Amino acid sequence: MTAQIIARGYRRYEGERVGVIGAMASVVRVTVHRCLGIHRPARTRVFPVLVIALAYVPTLVYVGVTVLGNRLDREGLPGRMMADAFVPSYAQNYAQIVLAIVVFSAFVAPEVLCPDQRNGMLEMYFASPLNRTTYLLAKSAAVGAMVSVVTLGPPVVLLAGYSIEGFGPNGIGEWFLTLARIVASAIVIASLLTAVSLAMSSLTSRRAAASAGFLAVVVGGSSLCGLLVTQGGVTNRLNLVNLLTLPYELTYRIFDEPSPLTVNAESPIPTPLLVGSYLVWLVVAAALVIRRYRRLATMT
Amino acid sequence: MAAVVRAEGLTKRFGANLVLSEAEFEIGEGIWGLLGENGAGKTTLIGLVLGLLAPDGGTLETLGSDPRRHGPEVRARIGYSPEHQLFPADLPAIDFVEHMCELHGIPRRHAATRASDSLWWVDLGEERYRSLGTLSVGQRQRVKLAAALAFDPALLLLDEPTDGLDPSQRDAMLALISRVGALSGITIVMASHLLDDVERTCDRILLLDHGVVRDLGSTRAIGPATAFELVVDGDVGAFVAQIERSGQRVVATDVLGRHLSIPVVGSERDLLELIQRVAIDCAVGVRELIPTRPGLSDVFGGGSPP
Repeated sequence: MTAQIIARGYRRYEGERVGVIGAMASVVRVTVHRCLGIHRPARTRVFPVLVIALAYVPTLVYVGVTVLGNRLDREGLPGRMMADAFVPSYAQNYAQIVLAIVVFSAFVAPEVLCPDQRNGMLEMYFASPLNRTTYLLAKSAAVGAMVSVVTLGPPVVLLAGYSIEGFGPNGIGEWFLTLARIVASAIVIASLLTAVSLAMSSLTSRRAAASAGFLAVVVGGSSLCGLLVTQGGVTNRLNLVNLLTLPYELTYRIFDEPSPLTVNAESPIPTPLLVGSYLVWLVVAAALVIRRYRRLATMT
Repeated sequence: MAAVVRAEGLTKRFGANLVLSEAEFEIGEGIWGLLGENGAGKTTLIGLVLGLLAPDGGTLETLGSDPRRHGPEVRARIGYSPEHQLFPADLPAIDFVEHMCELHGIPRRHAATRASDSLWWVDLGEERYRSLGTLSVGQRQRVKLAAALAFDPALLLLDEPTDGLDPSQRDAMLALISRVGALSGITIVMASHLLDDVERTCDRILLLDHGVVRDLGSTRAIGPATAFELVVDGDVGAFVAQIERSGQRVVATDVLGRHLSIPVVGSERDLLELIQRVAIDCAVGVRELIPTRPGLSDVFGGGSPP
């Protein structure tokens, strides 16, 4: 064994510096770790793992049904017919995992923004090369990435499973078109829920209050809209302010499938109106976050 | 001496409260004390230097650039240790320092090594994997210093670095800041409301008082030493006897007689040479040798800065 002398005196750093992009990448990585409980006590990993599992379990069940259907078919039983009747389309699959997506969104953004306002990290971030804009971009990217775990992952697993078992799209062109639709749908759902969740989280430094506010606006607002439209005879255009129905309706349009909103509707909401309303919500939520952080004093 | 921070006519107000009034000063190399009472505007001045606050008048240059226009570039070269003690309680110290390194542009492949080295340097090597919430206030102050130092900044801003520390932790922190200044060559600005901390640690002093910034110059220039405070190990009796034979009075300041005070009668240099010679002759170890100088309060004739 060779002895080593390890100098622990102060060393200058003459190497490369990666600038603001490196700082943002670090914020994204540390934020994702925080959300998933990585480098944190084990108890902090329980909730995110449970919710992610909740999002993937229905998808895995559907893939399992296709596997079973094929196996039964090989034994001369009507397995494929049974599987065809049971498994959902890609757009319908989102409706199956809506609970997991909403709960995850309600958890992630408050976990990402609120602690920084309470534990002094915001001051440390703003004393670094980051400014309010780059900080918020990095945090939004982290929330978007996390929400995409439950909006993009399950349909991609579904596509892979369906394709392997022969339930997938016909031909390579159709397959890539379906993949593009899955990605677009995941972005549509993740972006709106991320923006609204960030907006709620920017208003308070308390995670529980931000999560409750998000659930009240998204789930409570959606229930109220649903009641007014179905029971109160209010026009179905009210769904333009329904933050749960809006992105899911757009998903049905992306997949060009009939949705529960359009099947029996006398006058379905035109797609441009849906897109316009969606963009207005995105802009309003983003403006709220930016305005809030502009006013947030870090040093007096 | 190149100016690290230069202000001309710098003015900052919050509503009717004038925090800085046409301040003119230059901060060069060395350890600088930014002295002022609580609420005098020390943190505001730090915010201006970092480019986080906009001045209402005048100009400010930090590291040769306007910090408002070139904020990210300027802040990439400034280490900042805030006054507060609030940090993510469940984050290990090394992860926190590593993250601060990366925020200031150090690539990930170097950040972990620099974070570890920095924590060793502030004597927290053994505790580097402990969560911030389990560390004492003194240890957290050191973590903040390590985080501000790890990416090799050109300027270190320390806001009340001895806040919340007990006397022994405070002594250790001030010694550490002196060591950082002496060995790293980084310009340090230490904001404090404690005269003693600034006098013991800093080379020069900026006084912030009712919106006016005054460069008080070198702490050494405030006045010559009036006495030397010593802590000695070994044959203290022989050491004291030999000093007294040279015509110097020696006063024991603790019951064990190891803490001594020797008033300066003639020249400061002559007394220092005498202490050194006698310590060698009597084979005693001098563990501390601190000159006592007139305090700022003495210079300005009051218990608090003018």
